[in-house]
Parts: sequence; structure tokens; C-alpha cells
Amino acid sequence: MILDCDLLIGRDIVSGRSVDADELATRLAGAGIGGGAVASLRALLFDATSGNDEARVAAAAHAWLPVASIDLRDALGAEREIERAAEDGVRFVRFASTREGVAGSAPRIRLLARAAVERRLTLLVEGSMPEVAGAFMGLGASAVFLDLHFYDLGEFVLLGREESGFHASTRLMGGPDAWETVVGELGAERLVFGTRAGWFEEESVLYRLGTARMNAADRQMVTAGNLERLGGLGA
Amino acid sequence: MIIDVHGHIGPWFFSPYGGTASDNLRIMDAYGIDIQMVSGAEAVTYNPTTGNAAVARDIADHPRLRGLFVIDPRDLAAAEKQMAQLLPTGLFVGAKIHTHYSATPAGSPAMADALRLCAQAGLPVLVHTWGREILDLGTAVDSVDGVLAIAAHLAGPDWRLAPEAASRTDRLWLEPNYSVAESGRLRWVLDRVDPRRMLFGSDSTLTDPGVTLGALHAARLSPEEERLVMSENAARLFALDVGA
Repeated sequence: MILDCDLLIGRDIVSGRSVDADELATRLAGAGIGGGAVASLRALLFDATSGNDEARVAAAAHAWLPVASIDLRDALGAEREIERAAEDGVRFVRFASTREGVAGSAPRIRLLARAAVERRLTLLVEGSMPEVAGAFMGLGASAVFLDLHFYDLGEFVLLGREESGFHASTRLMGGPDAWETVVGELGAERLVFGTRAGWFEEESVLYRLGTARMNAADRQMVTAGNLERLGGLGA
Repeated sequence: MIIDVHGHIGPWFFSPYGGTASDNLRIMDAYGIDIQMVSGAEAVTYNPTTGNAAVARDIADHPRLRGLFVIDPRDLAAAEKQMAQLLPTGLFVGAKIHTHYSATPAGSPAMADALRLCAQAGLPVLVHTWGREILDLGTAVDSVDGVLAIAAHLAGPDWRLAPEAASRTDRLWLEPNYSVAESGRLRWVLDRVDPRRMLFGSDSTLTDPGVTLGALHAARLSPEEERLVMSENAARLFALDVGA
């Protein structure tokens, strides 16, 4: 079973493209991906409350894990969505400062991240890691950097040594040694399979998985175990 | 048969590992790549003269690796001088120009002069393209008699401009590597461009070939497209005797 930490449904205003839950489910099945953690673009781009409801409905329908997304342009609304997610048993909250046009250094991000960490939520973080990671340091956060590019992997390793809860998504780990570097330097428990299927070429990530130099136990952690652990499902 | 028209050899500052021909071959074998055209990482990012010489040494005993001679358009005299030394070895089958590292826009007079040198030397040239410069490259190629050029990366985030660039000349080919590619990109381009104009390029050893191979797989190539894109177009463009 392969699980994807970076599932998105809804419409992207930049590309003008849409992917609904059923379409995504079909795509995942065709790619051999069994499910994952799903967030709503409606929540990230327009209305967090109704969008997060949409993500929860989709998650329930397809046995995915729901993600609460917050709109950082509405800091007070974001605070309420974090609270609601925790009360409803949601385990993930998605930060998307770049997508929402909020500077990665904005104080609200750190304050909201702290609120999420206090409620034991795992943070799914969009944006260039060097530009956005600072807000999440020193909080004891469990975070998955969804847009970490392999060009920045060395910095992530240095960061990961300080922050034991920081994880890398595989989506942009397209360097020939990138996956192996994370596993070798930080451990397989710090690499989480993610593709953003439907928006990014999941086949590219699956091809990389096919040649990854990892033992079976590490592969299981990367492809499913780590997300299950972060979602409160695993051991 | 898979021919990769966009490879590199030598260490990259993005990774603490690798840099030898054996690294190229290991990665090629992992994906079934038969032949890879390589420019020197050193030649692209630091010094073409020392970097091209290093490539000649590194690939001399590895016939699956074919050289791309890096040209800095700002110093064509140095390029011409080294071409005279290295091209007779037969190790170099094409040229490479990186518009950003050499700070030479695709539409500049210096680029046109560099393209002219490639044409004179009989070297197809792989040109890094990012953004709207792919359109300028199409125009520049059209203006230089005889040059055969490949637009590397399909202009990156501006890949939707690739068909327009290809329409400006029949001597511009397209190479699709892009590490942050959107879903559906290559099918979209191939639906608008003759498949005889698309080549497989990986940007390995900087980027893992799985990135581009996966994207091509997602494009659901027809058998004819697969044959053309994965080997036949490259064999013809570079006049390789590989039985492709």
C-alpha cells in the first residue's frame, strides 16, 4: 500500500485546472496509490470552513485522511479552523503561505503553527523550504515540507538534525541521490511519500521509487508507515 | 533503445555525491538508458575550457557517453581554439550553451554568433531555455543558417510557449526535463508539436532520469511517438550510428 501525503482537490485559480475527489481516486488507483491525506483548494484559496468540510467528505468517501487547510490571509479564521480541526479529530493542518501570497516571515505563521503544535497536529507545509521553514523551528513541530526541492536538500539535512519532527516529501526529491541522502543522513522515518497526483506527475515520483536504493523496511516507512504514524494510525 | 540528449558529468554543488562516469552509467543502467550526451558540470558552471577538457578525459573509455562541447558565447575565440583540439577526437557529438550561467540571453547577438559557430562546426546544440527566452531562441535559430538546436527544459514554467517556439523554425527540437513539472504537460505539447521534434533528455546527473521518464510515461506516448522521442529523433539529429 502506497499512501500520498499531498493530495489536493478543487480548482487552482492559477492554472485554471480542477481535480475533484472521484477523479483523483481514479487517478490514484491507476497509479497504484492507495490513498493519503487530502486537502481542499477551496479551503486554501477561498473559504477555509466550507473547503475543509469538502475535504472531510472526500476523505470519508474514499478512506483518505482529512487535512484541515488554513487561509493565512485570514489569521483569525485560521485560528478557528485549527481549533475546529483539533476538536474534530483531524490530524493534519496545511500551511500554504506562498500560494496565498503571505510572506514566509509573517509573525502570524509562527503563532498559528504554535497553536497547531499545541493541539498535536502535524503540519503540511507548502512553499520553498528555505523561505518558509524558519517559522516552524523551535516549536517541537511535526512537519512535512511538501515543496522541498532537492537543490535545498543539504540545508534540510542540517535543519533536520536540529528538528527531529521535520520531514521531507518525495515530490520534488528528483535528484539521483536525494531519497538516499534523507534516509542515510536522517533516517527513513523522515521521508514521506508525496506526489500531489493530478497536479504534478505522480509517475515521476513512482519512477524514482522504483529505483530508490532502500531496504524493504525503509521503503514501507517511506511509502506508508510514516504518514500513518503522523496521522495517528500507525504504531 | 533510449538516447538521452541532456546529461552531465562531474560533481554538482547540489549534491555531495557522484561526479564520475561510473555514476552516469549506474543511473543510466537503472533506467535502461543506452546512450547519454554529457556536458561537464564544471564547463557549464565554472570554466568551459577546463571543463571540456575534463569531459574528454572522463568519457574517453566510455562509448555510451558522448560529449557535448560547452560554449560560452562571451568567449567564442576560446571555444574555437579548443574545438580545434577536441573535436578531432570524435568524443564530442554536439554543443551545449547555458544561457543563464553564461549570462547570454537567447535573443542576443552573442547567442546568434555562438549558434553560427555550432553550425560551422557541424554540432547540434542544446540550449538551456527558461521562460520566454524559448521564443527568442526559435527566432535566433531561424536567423542562423544551418544551425540545429534543442530547447532544453521546454522553457521550464513557460512550457506552453514551446509550440510557438517550434513553429518559428524547423530546426528547433524540444527537450522536456523539468523537475517541478505540472501534470499533463508533455501530452499537451505533443498534441501541438510534431513528435519528430521532441527528444528525451534527463538532465542527469543533476536530476534523476525518473523525473522525465515518468512524465513521458504519463503522456501515454503512442508506439510511434515512443520510438521517435526515445531514440530515433536523437540518432538522426546527432547522426549516431546506433541502429536505433
